[in-house]
Amino acid sequence: MAIYDAYLTKIAAYVADLRRKGRPIREMDCPPGVDRLLDGLPVRVGPGANPGIILRGDTFAEMGNPDAGSCAFLFWTDNPALVREGRITLIGPDIPESPGASLPFGQVLIMAGPQLTEKDHQTLEHTQFVADRIEGYMIRSTSQLIWSRVSRDVAQRGFGFETLGRALMAVFKQEVPKVEAMEILFVTSSREDLGPLDDIGAQVRKIYKSLLAADWKARGFDAYVCSYGGDCRTCPDEPVCDEIKEVIKIRKQKDVAPEASAG
Amino acid sequence: MAMDKETRRALMVKGLERYRKERDFFKFLSDTLALMPDEEMQLSKEVTDITVDRYDTIIRCAEEDKPFVAGYFNAAPEVYTAMDLPWYLIMQTPFLAASAPYLMEDVDAAEAMGLGTDWCTACRLSLYYIEAGLSPPPTCMIGLLHPCDAATMLHQAVVRNEKWRGIPMFCTDPPYFEDQRGIDYFANELKKMVAFIEENTGRKLDLDRLREVVKESNKQYELWAEYAQLRRAVPCPQGWGMGGPQCFAVSQIFQVGQPRGTDWFRRLVSITEKKVKEGRGVIPKEKIRYFWFDLLPFGWCFELMPWLEQEWGAVMVMEMFGFTPYTPVDTRNEDTIFKGLAKRNLYESPMVRQARGIADYFASDIARVVKDYKVDCVIWPGHMGHKDGSASTGIMREICNELKVPYLHIGLDLFDRRYTTPEECKDKLSKFFGAMGLG
Repeated sequence: MAIYDAYLTKIAAYVADLRRKGRPIREMDCPPGVDRLLDGLPVRVGPGANPGIILRGDTFAEMGNPDAGSCAFLFWTDNPALVREGRITLIGPDIPESPGASLPFGQVLIMAGPQLTEKDHQTLEHTQFVADRIEGYMIRSTSQLIWSRVSRDVAQRGFGFETLGRALMAVFKQEVPKVEAMEILFVTSSREDLGPLDDIGAQVRKIYKSLLAADWKARGFDAYVCSYGGDCRTCPDEPVCDEIKEVIKIRKQKDVAPEASAG
Repeated sequence: MAMDKETRRALMVKGLERYRKERDFFKFLSDTLALMPDEEMQLSKEVTDITVDRYDTIIRCAEEDKPFVAGYFNAAPEVYTAMDLPWYLIMQTPFLAASAPYLMEDVDAAEAMGLGTDWCTACRLSLYYIEAGLSPPPTCMIGLLHPCDAATMLHQAVVRNEKWRGIPMFCTDPPYFEDQRGIDYFANELKKMVAFIEENTGRKLDLDRLREVVKESNKQYELWAEYAQLRRAVPCPQGWGMGGPQCFAVSQIFQVGQPRGTDWFRRLVSITEKKVKEGRGVIPKEKIRYFWFDLLPFGWCFELMPWLEQEWGAVMVMEMFGFTPYTPVDTRNEDTIFKGLAKRNLYESPMVRQARGIADYFASDIARVVKDYKVDCVIWPGHMGHKDGSASTGIMREICNELKVPYLHIGLDLFDRRYTTPEECKDKLSKFFGAMGLG
């Protein structure tokens, strides 16, 4: 059992709760392979697919403005049987139904693959910020949030959450081949509906931070705290620091010497 | 013990002498920029005009014995605006290169005073200006216990300074980890800071006024974020001469939560959008897009940055102060406002965000900027005072290796051109660009 498996149940319970509350829920099933995912999409997907930036005046809809609410996170499992491969669940209005809107935005990406390990999590995190890889879709460059825009041009061509979901699945499967199956949840119903999702996200992010610290440590870096508790006497790099101090001392003596002899 | 009136008057006279010279320096810049009709130059002129106005305000307060504060950008400056309390940044002079005409003399004088040369030059100069009586003594002071050892040392020294020790000082205590507990704790620290300022200046904080100011500052940050996206365009509409430093100065120092600052941002976005639509870059042929991950070399930037554009077609598409990880502050009630300000000032303010930690910010910021801004190389200048960052250079190199983007660590002093001379920097940069097949 992988570290995040418990959150699959929590996400399912979250969706079930909103279903009980009568939120409109749409489920779409997409084909598995990258080629079939991209087949028939109204936009290009891949490096450079969105060469420009989407200006305010060219925006059809915005998602995840912090004023409207934003919550995005991802997690993975090494057991593909736990994920409904290709499933996109949308709770709330779709993009074509929201011209000029600033939608609240929840996005949960669930990846599966028997080869996936803790070491892949950072790569997956970086991959979700798709930069220029989806035509007509731009995630604003700000940390933590997914705050994005869809252009008028691609909206006219039918860009909706199925398009976005299929494109994201293709990007992940191309860039991280260990991802064999993927499921996505989008929530646009209301800011309030994002609250419980954010609680789940906070727990997932906490685990990710611990994994990240462990990963940096395994690579030889203390990203979070000094392993030696700030006690230089126990640090293996102490001789290097001592040598630097000696060099500074010698340099200072050199700087002073000409003045002394001149005097 | 409080400072006696006579001491204060004597210190003020001397402190204002240099302060007026700095004001005149910016006035000279404004007058020069006024001769240039280009709309970007006029934007720069507005920033220098704003700077002159701030200098004038502090001078007026000092002359009329009205309260003013010395503080920091990352201690919720919205509070000062809401209390109608003028303030100046303790490290203002080196940060703004306000001492440009006599910077080298000041650096030497600081060393002659016995201030260690292994100490961040910005902090060293700031202490020198206080020790030498070249800074106007404030009514009270908000100190800084992060992000670096030098900042803490600066305040330890100031609080013991023979003359300034009579000036009441309060320092917010910053927690290290990024979590709700940290935000709650720091929000409470900011409330304590407000109580301290109220007690020492006689001004009261009105919550409705603070809400109004924070709403205005939210507008500024939103426009700044809009502007930052525009710099993703290829070619980049602006280079090192316009961007992060000005946005930072307007939103976090000189026009915090004030409509004049918001108007400046509107103009900035409008001018830059126009350039993006027209496909106009800052230079005719952009060859290298670099991420300068620090402050600009304020002490000598004119000797390096234009050369990068002219010699190599290298455009600085983003730098540490221009990156915008800001989230709007929720203004529903006092609790949400202070927690929002705590988050902004602890985890989002530039340099403090990365240098205090967690060190992973260095990696995650690089990863975002490299992808979003189509960056060809990352330059960590390695300012001699930024030991915190230099301790993370391995992490930065590692993430750049993963992203397959070249990384350069120079090792220089952003304020003292003699540490690693501009010529040495140029040589290093040329060899780096050449070896990496850039340009």
